[in-house]
Amino acid sequence: METQRRRVAEEMAISIQITAVLLLLITGGAAGRSADDLVAELKSLRSQSPSGVIHLDDRLVSSFLTSVGTPRPYSLLIFFDANQLRSKAELRLPHLHSEFSLLSASFAAHHKDDASSSRIFFCDVEFEESQQSFDLFGVSSVPHVRLVPASTRSLRDSIPMDQSEFSRGAESMAEFLESKTKISLGGAILRPPRVSLRQVLFLLAAILISAPFLIRRILDGDTLIHDQRLWMSLALFVYFFGVSGTMHNIIHNMPMVLPDRNNPDRLIFFYQGSGMQLGAEGFAIGFLYMVVGLVLAFVTHLLVRFRSISAQRGFMLVGMLLAYWAVSKVIYLDNWKTGYSIHSFRPKSWW
Amino acid sequence: MGAKAAENGAKSSSSAPSPPPLKAFFRLKTKQQELLIRVASLALIYVLAFAVRLFSVLRYESMIHEFDPYFNYRTTLFLTRNGFYEFWNWFDSESWYPLGRIIGGTLYPGLMVTAALIYRLLRFLTFAVHIREVCVLTAPFFASNTTIVAYFFGKEIWDSGAGLVAAALIAICPGYISRSVAGSYDNEGVAIFALLFTFYLFVKAVNTGSLAWALASAFGYFYMVSAWGGYVFIINLIPLYVLVLLVTGRYSMRLYVAYNCMYILGMLLAMQIRFVGFQHVQSGEHMAAMGVFFLLQVFYFLDWVKYMLNDKQLFQSFLRITLTFAISVGALALGIGTASGYISPWTGRFYSLLDPTYAKDHIPIIASVSEHQPTAWSSFMFDFHILLFLFPAGLYFCFKRLSDATIFIVMYGLTSMYFAGVMVRLILVAAPAVCLISAIAISATVKNLTSLIRTKGKAPLAVSGKGSSSLKASAKRSEAQALRFRSLESAEAQALHFRSLESAEAQALASETSKAHEASADQSLPFQHNCAIALLVGAFYLLSRYAIHCTWVTSEAYSSPSIVLAARGAHGGRVIFDDYREAYYWLRQNTPADAKVMSWWDYGYQITAMGNRTVIVDNNTWNNTHIATVGRAMSSYEPEAYEIMQSLDVDYVLVVFGGLTGYSSDDINKFLWMVRIGGGVFPVIKEPDYLVNGEYRVDKGAAPKMLNCLMYKLAYYRFGEMTTEYGKPTGYDRARGVEIGNKDIKLEYLEEAFTTSNWIIRIYKVKPPKNRW
Repeated sequence: METQRRRVAEEMAISIQITAVLLLLITGGAAGRSADDLVAELKSLRSQSPSGVIHLDDRLVSSFLTSVGTPRPYSLLIFFDANQLRSKAELRLPHLHSEFSLLSASFAAHHKDDASSSRIFFCDVEFEESQQSFDLFGVSSVPHVRLVPASTRSLRDSIPMDQSEFSRGAESMAEFLESKTKISLGGAILRPPRVSLRQVLFLLAAILISAPFLIRRILDGDTLIHDQRLWMSLALFVYFFGVSGTMHNIIHNMPMVLPDRNNPDRLIFFYQGSGMQLGAEGFAIGFLYMVVGLVLAFVTHLLVRFRSISAQRGFMLVGMLLAYWAVSKVIYLDNWKTGYSIHSFRPKSWW
Repeated sequence: MGAKAAENGAKSSSSAPSPPPLKAFFRLKTKQQELLIRVASLALIYVLAFAVRLFSVLRYESMIHEFDPYFNYRTTLFLTRNGFYEFWNWFDSESWYPLGRIIGGTLYPGLMVTAALIYRLLRFLTFAVHIREVCVLTAPFFASNTTIVAYFFGKEIWDSGAGLVAAALIAICPGYISRSVAGSYDNEGVAIFALLFTFYLFVKAVNTGSLAWALASAFGYFYMVSAWGGYVFIINLIPLYVLVLLVTGRYSMRLYVAYNCMYILGMLLAMQIRFVGFQHVQSGEHMAAMGVFFLLQVFYFLDWVKYMLNDKQLFQSFLRITLTFAISVGALALGIGTASGYISPWTGRFYSLLDPTYAKDHIPIIASVSEHQPTAWSSFMFDFHILLFLFPAGLYFCFKRLSDATIFIVMYGLTSMYFAGVMVRLILVAAPAVCLISAIAISATVKNLTSLIRTKGKAPLAVSGKGSSSLKASAKRSEAQALRFRSLESAEAQALHFRSLESAEAQALASETSKAHEASADQSLPFQHNCAIALLVGAFYLLSRYAIHCTWVTSEAYSSPSIVLAARGAHGGRVIFDDYREAYYWLRQNTPADAKVMSWWDYGYQITAMGNRTVIVDNNTWNNTHIATVGRAMSSYEPEAYEIMQSLDVDYVLVVFGGLTGYSSDDINKFLWMVRIGGGVFPVIKEPDYLVNGEYRVDKGAAPKMLNCLMYKLAYYRFGEMTTEYGKPTGYDRARGVEIGNKDIKLEYLEEAFTTSNWIIRIYKVKPPKNRW
């Protein structure tokens, strides 16, 4: 019974397919499969990947896009990836790809089994294995995201996503998608929490249990935090962190050094112009700032304990020279960087 | 000028004991001499702090600077004319037309009330001053007061020598001057005084454990809350400090009294300010203070139980149970409060301080403001100069002589240093701490060195007669070096002071110094002496450079009013552009009293204060949609813009244009922000429409939408007929260095009403609808 029914179904399916093919042939379409078939195949491909991003290659691109007549029953949002460029930090390919997967997963979660789940699919294409597809779309640079709406005939006419539209991550990609396809995401992007609920509970319990013991030790006064040196080095670190402009480097993502444009072998360590700085530059200056103060502290508090007079004299001299060098270096660099210098104005009659 | 006088003063008093005829006249004891010098140098520092901030008044005239101060000035004017209650209930219909703004509930009134009180006092003393003069000089006056507070603070933390040095340093520290020159009538001017005063009183309260000082610090806190939103720094730093003291085992009854009194009274007082309201019990930013308050109670309770229980074992288990219980209850309360929405979460501004990358990703409007940028090292150098080198040494000295007070200053210094690294404008908050800590370094070093010099040969230090001669010698030597810096005097005063301390050496300096004495005493070292002199000269040289740097920076960078522009002409002379005021007075004299003026928000405060006309948006950027509407009007074509302007009842449009003078911060350069902010609310405005391949241009190659939008037309109307520079075509824009792309501009719905003499401000009248007039 079972087998018979299945065979009947298969036969029906085949006959439907044949009629579909015939119909398509008659209407002049080039597509070989029916719309439902394609959607079903896409769905099965989607279910194979955990985030729901379908990996396309040249063959799949042709079977789902170029050889299907418009309007297609679905739109595709395609992420163009290149394995060889993933190591370049400034392109942020891995980050963007994970954001893209997040968008896909959130979309799948919000549209489990409704109609819109088969209207849009998330795909990615890799450069080395599908160079033809890159040519078809006219994509010459990554990161690149493109939306192929259902009605687009030529792949070059598909809508590229602006740099600004994917730079803010999954949220801005979702905005782009919603405005272009009129398919709503149906909720917020579901980001995995940094620490899971179980971990939070565990941490909380651990803190609660250990707190009395810790506090007792603190009250007794025999822990690391009662060590003055620890606090002092922390304090000096905070100072160094502040004045070397590390915050500036973190916020603006400044590189440590820049390559020189005129001479590629040389590196630029110092950036001329106030309000901007490079990473190495900040650390160098922060170090110079620290040196003078530390030399002073060393001379007044440690050097006096030395027994040998000549050692005292020697260190004193070195300290003085060091302090002089550091101060003059910083002032010279500051004048060079800001282009500012103290000078007097002559009265007009002197000219 | 003040320095020279100071030198004379110091000389006359220090040389007092030696000449015979004067001897009878000035027979002062050592202590009296010292007091005289100290008071004299403090008085001179007081005058110096005021005088150095007067560059802008001397160079231009007595006027209010920049943008925000104009709002403060306008409200102060209202306050003095209509009284406090009217001010408190003031609904301002002249700004944010048609919405208006409730002034009394949306500002910190401390500054205005202070200025009004000074004004009343002067009037009472029959000084006929104008309120504007009072406003202009409020910030320098409070800067002078800050030096006095810094002296007492330094004295409390270290000794009076450090106090004097700190006062001298802060009097001319550029980081502080940048916000307190004459004419910069802004909240920060009084707030830094209030901040330091509150901290001083609190440290004093912790040191003495007296209720009176704690009460005083609560009132200081109240004044700070009434003056500036930066009070959040105090209400977080003080609990943090208390927490560190608890953790490091420095809990004491003094701390308990000081914190409880200051927190409870300060909180109740702060609630009287309408803008702050119940935030102290409702917002997440203030919860740390409350948590520490309860923690202190637990500590006190435990102390009491420990005292009552004799059994140590029993107490340990009790401790464990109580702590677990207290911590879990606290965590639960916080969790429930946050979840139920009773306690509001941290604001973005606060969060961006703790996690600096937050603002960049989530609040672009904060990230875009130039004074919210993170600080590069050169800005630190510019604002602190040599203090930066001395800061680590000062930290080291503080750690070597750890007390409740030095812990406080170290924490204040480090937290504010971190915040200064996050935002340029917070250098201001760090300035007093950096000055104090560096003062400790200078004072301690100079003290060590001078004592080294004086121990040479003749050992008996404690004899005061010898001391005075060596003091004279050091005074002469320093005169010979012709160092015109105040800390010179303070160093001398310190040397004197040191002598008076000698008798009570036990409590005086750290043991290291006395060891140094011993070392230098048993082994007579000729080189040590020379070394000390060399170091002293080096230190004084650095300090003199600091003084020169500060004066120069104040004069060149921080004293321009930015409402009157100055440039150097081709022949080196100073050229003044007074176009802003020209335009605002024109508005005042020639437009109907109820006219509404549309401009970009930067000029809102100035138009209402000087032009006395209603504006659509101003610098209090509380309603983003309203600002976006103006941005949309400016970036639309004329017919659409006309519709928007009609809906807002706009009568005049004001634009700022620098093409003729080369003034670069004009509206054309700000235009992309108008587009961005407008596009943020109205998606019809798209930034790429105004750019060509991502480039912003105004010449022939500019985007067509750019060449025909309202802002472009208003800025460049009839500019195409103008020759600006010899050898250049007509319509050459000097601010951007290009020939403009649209020289034939026809206006349909607006007409030119007024253009100032240098074309910096252009005002247009909106025509009435065609069939009605």
